[in-house]
Amino acid sequence: MSDAGLRARDLVIGYETPLTQPLNFEVGPGEILVVVGESGCGKSTLLSTLAGVTLPLRGEIYSGDRCLNDVPIHKRNIGLVFQDPLLFPHLSVIDNIGYSLRASGQSRDEARARSQELLDWVGLGNIVNQKTWELSGGQAGRVALARAIAAKPAVLLLDEPYSALDSPTRMRLLADVKNLVGLEKIPTIHVTHDHGEAQLLATRTLTW
Amino acid sequence: MGNGDEPLSGTLASHLPRSLKRLWVIPAVLLLVFLVYPLIRLTATAWTADTVNALLASTLWQVVLLASVQAMLSVGLSLLIGIPIARVLFTYQFLGRGFILALVTIPFVLPTVVVALGFRSLFGDLIPNGLLLVVIAHAYINIAVVVRLVGAQWSTLDRRMEVTAATLGAGPMRIFSTITLPALRNSIVLASAVVFIFSFSSLGIVVVLGDGSGTRTLEQVLLRSTSVLLDFPTALAAAILQLIVVGLVFVISARVSRHEPRTKIILERARVRGPQAAFVVTATCLVAVTLVLAPIASIFWASISSSGGLTTGWWSGLSDFDNARIGSPLEALGRSVGLALFTSVIAAILGGAIAIAVMSRKAIVATLALIPLGVSAVTLGLGILLAFSRGSLDLRGTGALIPITHALIAVPIVVAMATPSLRTVDPRRYFVALSLGAGPLRAWWTAFGTVFSGVMLAAGGLAAAVSLGEFGAATLLSRTDSPTVPVQIARLLSKPGESAFATAAVLSVILVVMTMSLLLVVDRIASRRVFT
Repeated sequence: MSDAGLRARDLVIGYETPLTQPLNFEVGPGEILVVVGESGCGKSTLLSTLAGVTLPLRGEIYSGDRCLNDVPIHKRNIGLVFQDPLLFPHLSVIDNIGYSLRASGQSRDEARARSQELLDWVGLGNIVNQKTWELSGGQAGRVALARAIAAKPAVLLLDEPYSALDSPTRMRLLADVKNLVGLEKIPTIHVTHDHGEAQLLATRTLTW
Repeated sequence: MGNGDEPLSGTLASHLPRSLKRLWVIPAVLLLVFLVYPLIRLTATAWTADTVNALLASTLWQVVLLASVQAMLSVGLSLLIGIPIARVLFTYQFLGRGFILALVTIPFVLPTVVVALGFRSLFGDLIPNGLLLVVIAHAYINIAVVVRLVGAQWSTLDRRMEVTAATLGAGPMRIFSTITLPALRNSIVLASAVVFIFSFSSLGIVVVLGDGSGTRTLEQVLLRSTSVLLDFPTALAAAILQLIVVGLVFVISARVSRHEPRTKIILERARVRGPQAAFVVTATCLVAVTLVLAPIASIFWASISSSGGLTTGWWSGLSDFDNARIGSPLEALGRSVGLALFTSVIAAILGGAIAIAVMSRKAIVATLALIPLGVSAVTLGLGILLAFSRGSLDLRGTGALIPITHALIAVPIVVAMATPSLRTVDPRRYFVALSLGAGPLRAWWTAFGTVFSGVMLAAGGLAAAVSLGEFGAATLLSRTDSPTVPVQIARLLSKPGESAFATAAVLSVILVVMTMSLLLVVDRIASRRVFT
C-alpha cells in the first residue's frame, strides 16, 4: 500500500517541442487526479512520461522523496492501464493478474492467491483459467485493472481506460476503480476528454 | 462494405463475365496434364516391390536422420541471426531501413549454387566442405525467411504490451522471454518450419558444399538415383519420404502454433532515440550488411583475381573457355536467358488464369497450383521427363521441358502474389463500372486491369528469376551438351584448377546481376501497380 504519493515539479512534456507549460501537481494516497483535455493536447504523453516511456523535456517526477527521472520503467512501481486492456494473450486470466508478482519474485502459489483475491474482488472469481480473448470488454477491463494494482503500485496511471466500451459498462468500471484505489490507498492519475467521467472520479482536476 | 469484403467478393464471383468464369478450365487442364499426370506417371513407373524395399531400407532413413539434424541446425542458426535483425528492421524507423530490408532479402533469391560458390570462395580452406559450411550457407539463404515472417508479426505486436509488462516490474530480459517471444511464437514456428523444409530438401548447397556422406539429403539421393544410377524405385522412395517429412513438418508446425485471434493493427515503428538504441540499430545493420555482402563480394573478388594478382582475364576469356564436358559459358548464358523468358511467359499466363479462377471461387485450381510446394524440383522434373519422352507426347526435342517445369515451380509463388493483390481491389469498382454502362469484360478490366497486368508482369519477372537460378530440375532435364548456367557452375566447381573456379565465379556474378535486376524490376512494378 502506498502512502507516499506522486509529485511533478516544473515538468515539461513533449517529444521535440514542449506540449505544455511547466506542470506542478501532486497526488496523494487514495486520491484521483483527473487530467481533462481535448485529443492531442498531451494527456497520454503526460502518463507516458510519468511511466518512464517518454523522457521529460524538463522538470522532475517524485514518488515520495525518490526522484524517478532516471529510474527505468520496470523499477518505478507503477500500474498503467491503457485505453485497451492489453491482456497478454498467451497467459490465462489469473496469470495475467499475477504477472507483476511473479516478476517481483513471488512464488506461483503466492501470486495465484493474491490474483484470486483480486479476481473475486472485481467479481470475476469464476473465470480464472479462461482465455483472455474469450472475455467481454467489461471483463477484460476488470482484469486489466486487477493486474495493474496486484503488486500494490506506488501510483496508478489510467489512460482513458475503457473508452472503447459502452457507457453503462464504462461507468460501472470507473466506479470499481474509484472504490479500489480508495480501498488500497493508491495515488491515481486518470486522463480523459469526458467531463462527466472527470466529475464522477476526480478528487482534483488538472487542465492546460 | 469494405475493401475485399467477403460477402461482396462472393457476389463478385457470381457476377463475373461468363468468359472469365469459364477460364478456370484452361489452367485446370494444363495443371492436370503437366503436373498431375507426370506425378501419376512417375508413381506408376517407379512403384515396384523395390520401392517398398527402398522405403524400408536403412539407407534412406539414415539420410532422413542426417538431413533432419542438418536442417535443425540450419533452423537454429537462421533464428539466431534473423531474429535480432527482424527486431531492428520491424520495430525501428530509420534512414536506410528499406535498403537493409531489401539487402537481407537478396540471399533468398540468389541461385543456390551461387551462394555455395560464395561460401566456398569466402572460407577457402578455413572451413572445409561439410556440415558446418552447409549449415552456414542455409542460414544465409534463410535469413530473409526469418526476418520477413518474424518481422511481420513483430510489427503488429502492440508495444504497449511490453510497456505494460515493464510497469508491472518486468526487466528487459523478462519482457523478451515472457511477452515478446510468446507473442512471436506463431511466426517463429512458421519460419522454423519453412527453413527446415528448405534445408532438409536442399540440393545446390549440399552438392557443392557437402562432404558427400554426412550432409546428404533425399533430394541428392533422388537426383543421383535418377541421373546416375537409373534406380527409379529408390528415387520414388526418396520422393515419397521427402513428401512425408514435408507434410509432417507442416502438421507439427500447425499444431505447435497457438490459435488465437490475429492482430490486424500495424503499428508505427519507433524512432531511434538515445545512444543505446542508436548503437543497437547501427551494430545490427552493420552485421546484416556484412553477412549478406561478404559471400557476394567474395565471388566478385574471385572473378577478378588470380594467383598472379588482379586480372580481367577470366571475364575476357569467357568466350574462349570451352570444355567438352562443361560446354561454352556464353552459350549457357544465352540458353538460360531464353529458358527464363519462355518460363516467364508460361508462368504469367498460367498464374493469371489461376488468379482469375481463384476470383471465380474455383478452389480446386488453386489447390492444384500449390502441389509443387510439396514436391521437389527434381521429382517434378523426373515426372515431366517420364511423361513427355515417348510417342506423340515426346517433347524432349522442343526445349519445352525445362520452362514447363520451371513455370510449375514458380506457379505457387505467382498465385501467392496475384491472389492477395487482386483482393486489394475494392470489388465495388466493378459494379460501379457496370452501372455506368460498361460490358462485363470491360468493367472487369476497368476495376482489376491495372493490378492484374501489374501482377502478370511481376509474376513473369519472378518466374524468370526462379528459372535463372533453378538447379535440381535443370540438372536432370538439360542435356550434357546444353547445360543451364547453374548446372554449368556446379560442373565447373567439380573440376580442379583456378580457371574452372574463376569462370564459375564470373558466371555467378553475371547470374547475381541478372537476378537482382529482375527482382528490382519486379519490386518497382509491384510497388507501383500491384499493391496500390
